[in-house]
Amino acid sequence: MSAPPNTCKEVLSHISGYLDGELDAMACDAIDRHCLECASCAALVNGLRETVGLCRQAATAPLPDAVRQRARESVRRLLDRHAKES
Amino acid sequence: MSSADGKAEYAGLVKAAATGDRGAMEALLVRSQEVAYRFSLLVCGHPEDAEDVMQDALIKTYQHVATISEPEAFRTWLYSTVRNACLMKRRRRVGEPSNFVSVERGIETSEGTVHVDVADPSRAIDQRLIDGWVDGRLRQALKRLPASYRMIVVMREIEGLSTKEVAAIAGVSEANVKTRLHRARLMLRKQLEHV
Repeated sequence: MSAPPNTCKEVLSHISGYLDGELDAMACDAIDRHCLECASCAALVNGLRETVGLCRQAATAPLPDAVRQRARESVRRLLDRHAKES
Repeated sequence: MSSADGKAEYAGLVKAAATGDRGAMEALLVRSQEVAYRFSLLVCGHPEDAEDVMQDALIKTYQHVATISEPEAFRTWLYSTVRNACLMKRRRRVGEPSNFVSVERGIETSEGTVHVDVADPSRAIDQRLIDGWVDGRLRQALKRLPASYRMIVVMREIEGLSTKEVAAIAGVSEANVKTRLHRARLMLRKQLEHV
């Protein structure tokens, strides 16, 4: 990266890279410093962090038991049928 | 689990299943249906299609494993297959909810054709199952995103695919995936404030 983000516009354009850990330490520090002085960018960073966190919680939510059960039964029926045929 | 771990785990199951390991094949097929379920509901937003898309994923995965030459590419293949199944399902049924029996065609039974116009409960995923699964606010917010953004955010944030994998599945560049993900996150945040 050429220059660390300092303005609100620059912070906004680098915010995804910041959340994904793709920025170098200097750029991260610049965003942290900017957020200490800019309430709206700080709110944006926190809001996006919560949004990403909510999505990642969904990633670990197990499927409903009934759906898993039906999936397992379909798989066993398919494999049993093919085992008999071969 | 990181994106790379998930990809390697799939590849390991594919290799084992291809050599006749029934347990690995079973695990792989269950996973393929789980992917199909999540994709149908979260990306396509059509729970009534989920059963058919799951069945499609089951059959195609079973056939594909025997012929696969690149196990590392399996995960990309699976999501592409599920995505296409969802799209085909929609194209076939534009304007016709899939869990409804056609009034004109009716149902063929041993006693002749029965004409009905009610929902066929055997084909619908129970709404109560969906309600109890992923956070309701997130599901509502996702529904309000444009489809192309919703797909990117679900595959990257929820399914844990890499930018490269998502680019291959969506048929766009990696830079485009990053741009859409950035916009999708901003849109999702805004929607979450209103649901």
